[in-house]
Amino acid sequence: MGNDDYALIRSVLAGEKDAYGLLVARHSQSVFRIAFRITENEADADEVVQETFLRGYRKLQDFDARSNFGTWVYRIAMNCALDVLKKGKRQTAVPIAEEYDSELSSVQLADCAAGPDRLVLSQEIEKRRHAAMERLTPTERVAFVMRHMEARSTEEIAAALGIAPNSAKNAVFRAVQKMRQSLAPLWVRS
Amino acid sequence: MKHLTEEEMMEHYYSEDFGKAKAEAHLQACQQCSKAYGELSRLLRSVQAPSLPPRDSEYGTQVWQSIQGSLQPYAPTPKRRFFLWPQFAYAAACVLVLAGAFWAGRIWEHVHSMPFVAGSEQQAKERVVLFVLDNHLDRSERLLVQLNHTNGEENDVDSRLQAEAQQLLSDNQLYRQSAARANDPLLNAALDHLERVLLEVANSGNELTSTDIASIQKEMNTQGLLFQIRVLRAKVSEQKPNAGAIRKGATI
Repeated sequence: MGNDDYALIRSVLAGEKDAYGLLVARHSQSVFRIAFRITENEADADEVVQETFLRGYRKLQDFDARSNFGTWVYRIAMNCALDVLKKGKRQTAVPIAEEYDSELSSVQLADCAAGPDRLVLSQEIEKRRHAAMERLTPTERVAFVMRHMEARSTEEIAAALGIAPNSAKNAVFRAVQKMRQSLAPLWVRS
Repeated sequence: MKHLTEEEMMEHYYSEDFGKAKAEAHLQACQQCSKAYGELSRLLRSVQAPSLPPRDSEYGTQVWQSIQGSLQPYAPTPKRRFFLWPQFAYAAACVLVLAGAFWAGRIWEHVHSMPFVAGSEQQAKERVVLFVLDNHLDRSERLLVQLNHTNGEENDVDSRLQAEAQQLLSDNQLYRQSAARANDPLLNAALDHLERVLLEVANSGNELTSTDIASIQKEMNTQGLLFQIRVLRAKVSEQKPNAGAIRKGATI
C-alpha cells in the first residue's frame, strides 16, 4: 500500500493529475473519520476532507518519500479540522454547557442498570459528552480526540499539532478534567 | 504513602506512565486511589466516539470530482538528454572535479590562514542569539505582566494580548527546540511552561473573559513563570557583552 502510494505520488509530480484521484479515493474514508470525530458535524467534516486533499496536493512536492502518505494526510486533516474549529469558535458564541444541576439528580442512575434505564443513561452521557466537547478549546478537543478516540500517543499528538509533548499531555489532561466535570454527576457512587 | 495524582491516573489509564508496574502495585495497595481510579476509568470508558455517518464506496470519487477542477497539474520534469551523451558527461564530470579541487584548496587555505576570524564569527553568532533571545524574553515578560494585571473587561487589550501570544508562540517553539538541543534544562523548562501559557491565551476563542484569564493565571501559575522569565533575562543580560553599559543607558 505504502509503495503504491509513493508510485502514485511520483506520477502526480510527473504531471499526471488524475493519479491523485486514486490517492483521494484510497484515503478519503479515514480522513472523513478523523474529521467527523473532531468537528462532530457532517458538513464541516466534508469541508475538512476537501480542504485536506487540496492542501495535500499543493504540498505534495514537500512529501518525504520515507513517510507514510496516510499518516501525512492524517496530520493535514487534523490541522484543517483545527482551523475549522477555530473559525467556528470565532463565528458562533458557544453556550457554556451546564455544570451539575441539582434538578438533574432525577436522571442519576447506577451504571449497573439495564434496559430502558441504561438507554436513558447512554443518551444523557452522549448529551453531556457533546456539551463538554463544545466547551473544550480547539487544541484540547483535537488532543482529546486523538488520545481517547484514535489511541494516538502524546508524541504523535505533539508532532501533529506542532507543540511540545508536555503541552499535548496538558491539553489532554484539561480535556479529561472538563469531561469529568460534565459527566461525573451522572454516576452514582457506590 | 504517596497517592497517585489525577494526572498520573490519567496517564495510567492511557498506558503512558513510565512506572506502570509501580502504579499498578499502588492501586492494589491503596483503597482510596483504587476507588478514584475506578471512577475515572469508568467515566472515560463511557465516553464513546460519536457514530460516523455512512459514506459509500463512491465517496472518494465524489471528493475527487469536487476538488480536481481547482488543481493545476504539476509540470513534468524535463528529461535531461544532455547527460545521455556519455562523452559530454565524462568531460563535464572532469571539469566539475577540477573546479571542486580548486575551490576546496581555496577554502582550505582560507580556513587555515584565519583561525582567529573564524573564532570571531562564532562569537558574533552567539552575540546575535543572545540578543534575539533577550528580546523574546522581554516581549514574553511584558505579555505576562499584562496577563497578570488584566481583568478581561477591556476587549481591545485582550485581542492584542492574543495576537501577541500567537506571534510569540511560533518563536518560542523554535527557541525551546534549540534549548533542548543545547541541553539547557532550565531554559528548556521555562520555555516549555511559557509555551503552554501562550497556547492557552492564543487558542482561547475570540475573546478572553475574566474567568478565562483567572483560570489561566491560577492553573498555569503565571506569577511563578514571570519570576522564572525575569531570572532568565538577568542571566542572558549578564552573558551579553556591554550589558552593564546598556543597562546604564550608555551609548555604544
